[in-house]
Amino acid sequence: MVNSFIQKYSVNKTVWVYIFSGGFVLSTALLGLFVSSVSFPLTAVLDVLAEKIVGNKIFGHEAAGNIEVIIWEIRFPRVLLALFVGASLSIAGASFQGLLRNPLADPYTIGVSSGAALGAVTVLYFQLSISFLGSYTLPVVAILGGFITMVIVFIITRLSSRDLNIETIILAGIIISAFIGAIISLIIALSDREDMRQILYWLMGNIGMRGWSHVQLLIPFFIVGVILLVSRAHDLNAFALGEESAGHLGVNVQGGKVLILVGASLLTGASVAVSGSIGFVGLVIPHFVRLIIGPDHKHVLPLSMLTGGGFLVLADLISRSIIAPKELPIGVITALIGAPIFAILLVRERMRKG
Amino acid sequence: MIEVSGLTGGYQNEDILTDINLTINEGEFFALIGPNGSGKTTLLRLMTGALAPSGGIIEISGKPIQTYSPRKKAEIMAVLAQSSHVEFDFSVEEIVMLGRYPHQKGLIKHISRRDKEVVSEVMKQTEVYQYRNKPFKWLSGGEKQRVLLAKALAQEPKILFLDEPTNHLDVKHTVEMLQHLKAYQAKRQMTIIAILHDLNTAALFADRFGALHQGRLVKKGDLSVLKNETLLQKVYEVDIKHHSHPTLAKPQMLVAPEEMHHSNPHALEAEVDQNEQCIHIAFPRPLRVLSNAVVGEGLQWLCHFCNFYVPKNYDCSNPADDVRKWLEKAGIPLGDTLGMMTAVKLADKAIVNEVIMDTHIFTIVTAGVGNAMDITKEHPLAEAWQIGTINIMVFLDEHLTDGAFVNAVQSATEAKTKALVDMEVTDPATKSIATGTSTDSIAIAATQNGTPTPYAGSGTRVGKAIGQSVYRAVTEAIENYRTRVGK
Repeated sequence: MVNSFIQKYSVNKTVWVYIFSGGFVLSTALLGLFVSSVSFPLTAVLDVLAEKIVGNKIFGHEAAGNIEVIIWEIRFPRVLLALFVGASLSIAGASFQGLLRNPLADPYTIGVSSGAALGAVTVLYFQLSISFLGSYTLPVVAILGGFITMVIVFIITRLSSRDLNIETIILAGIIISAFIGAIISLIIALSDREDMRQILYWLMGNIGMRGWSHVQLLIPFFIVGVILLVSRAHDLNAFALGEESAGHLGVNVQGGKVLILVGASLLTGASVAVSGSIGFVGLVIPHFVRLIIGPDHKHVLPLSMLTGGGFLVLADLISRSIIAPKELPIGVITALIGAPIFAILLVRERMRKG
Repeated sequence: MIEVSGLTGGYQNEDILTDINLTINEGEFFALIGPNGSGKTTLLRLMTGALAPSGGIIEISGKPIQTYSPRKKAEIMAVLAQSSHVEFDFSVEEIVMLGRYPHQKGLIKHISRRDKEVVSEVMKQTEVYQYRNKPFKWLSGGEKQRVLLAKALAQEPKILFLDEPTNHLDVKHTVEMLQHLKAYQAKRQMTIIAILHDLNTAALFADRFGALHQGRLVKKGDLSVLKNETLLQKVYEVDIKHHSHPTLAKPQMLVAPEEMHHSNPHALEAEVDQNEQCIHIAFPRPLRVLSNAVVGEGLQWLCHFCNFYVPKNYDCSNPADDVRKWLEKAGIPLGDTLGMMTAVKLADKAIVNEVIMDTHIFTIVTAGVGNAMDITKEHPLAEAWQIGTINIMVFLDEHLTDGAFVNAVQSATEAKTKALVDMEVTDPATKSIATGTSTDSIAIAATQNGTPTPYAGSGTRVGKAIGQSVYRAVTEAIENYRTRVGK
């Protein structure tokens, strides 16, 4: 009796968390479309979207000349980009953490972001274009850069300790990140003044003035990466007691691990390629989601995507409105918000343990 | 069921195990024993497929282990490993539910009604049901171990591998866990292969044993493996003696570190303290004793030896409790003491303290012959317990083996009987010469100094010393008794 009540309650709770997260994403997205230096009535904004997507206006607003351009060509892709990047970084972070059994792992701390950034900077600086990839050269090289960096981090960890030790992974990630940072600085130093400003600004993380082309760049990688990760959610749970233990439970450890790492690298690399390195999202969001829903990856992964997406839209909103008309890089906002939140979460965890 | 032949393997090009050949039958409890670093865990990891062998074959149910897919393997076998680190707040129930993984088919792993039933059943069996909603990482080491066992059992395996399953467990939970496992094993014909550090636990629960030494399986077999002291000494490099369990037909192992044997030339110097109620003999160091005394029976190590006087009309319904009460009153430590009783006046005791044939021997006897009996004739049976009439305590500065203690009792008894014959003590009922009295007590105590003597029978140096000393003491005690009684 009591048991079934608890079960019912927990099922209800899960449903409510999903509803709330979905609502959070929708409302932040609408807020992102609505709030800006030039403001339009909400109904007008919805009309533009409805006309573009469904083909019919809902409220019948007269389309003012620039509203369509501003909403559809500038704000909407920007919100979508923030949404996808936030979702990508969060689900990638949650997967890295689950796989490595390490709450401090995220694309940033284990060096994947830096590697992807190096790949992207290289493409930007040398104006590379691999013919058959075309405009996809940037994300593909960024993804490769991230993946190679991660492999190097794992090799260093493996060489210095027998298992994938938590502290060693982070340490190796920081070392590699510092090294890559130096190379990027070198490239910046070699570039002329205008390029330098651009690269620097991009490095700090920025999703402004990207337009539809960047959303298109991200989406294919996003879909593949998310499918790879979500389909491994159950395996990620089995990794809770370590790889060997997962193997004893019947998980295909090597195969599963590679798929998870590839999926997470795809998402990270593609995100970095379109928006630069944005820190703390992949670290804080999964941690926060786990506090609410528990550690089951079947829920942690999708809820991290929703929450992370909404969070980045909100962060973008703040970054462009706080010192309007100038914009802050979004990475500055996520770090300013994320770092204290993460510190609080760590301290709380410690207090809870007593 | 499991067939290992010519197995070689280890880590990173370095073989830890060489040429392991082993057959483990269905439904048996096989224990791997051996010191740290002997390769037990490596062998276990090879058998579970967590490590790839560098040579040899492992077959499960007639098929090489490599031919099983991870999932098929997990349906057959479960592993309880040593490490139990979990980073996130998985609840106990979620951890146990992981054990159902191999049975959940399809892309979306739906938790079925059967999964739930199995999980709650194994959680009850391992007594972790009450923690099911608690985060796993908050539990104590012992509780975690039981949760991990529940997870392994939730896999419903045919073969269960255990690496130090009783690590972190107290005595109660160790026994309960292994009893549960044995019961579960009997019900499901499950095969258990366990690494057990505690040889005594292994002796109680396992059916067969394999002893590993420096990467080789040096011996396999039944309980005789554990009774092989030479083998255990070679494997563990410490002296290990076995003795039998007091209530079960199992051996129990005892470590005998050599540095702790000490020589003590003054060990036979005792303080003898006597009053109306009690003769109390106290030694500074414990002596090895074989006795049938009221308190302190069997083979023991004891410091204090007491003989209590009780009047003839003593109510002997609970003599052991009475002796304990008296000891407590006298401030003599209970666990360290042997206690006898007699209705003979303690003043009539006889003490013989001398060196006979190089053996320092000290005998103290109280004797009364009112209940003298000829053991070879028919009598109405005596009551279950009567007050001892000839109480003999023999203290020797010798090192006797267990067998020699039995010899010594034999020698002392023969000497006592000879004394009764020579003193012409007769059985009042049969009018024949008595061989003893109805309830004689004896204690043979040795300092265990010097080299062990395996014999103390009548043909040996120690036996002769006992015989002479006991003969003289019994004779003197009977003379004292007769003088007092006036015969």
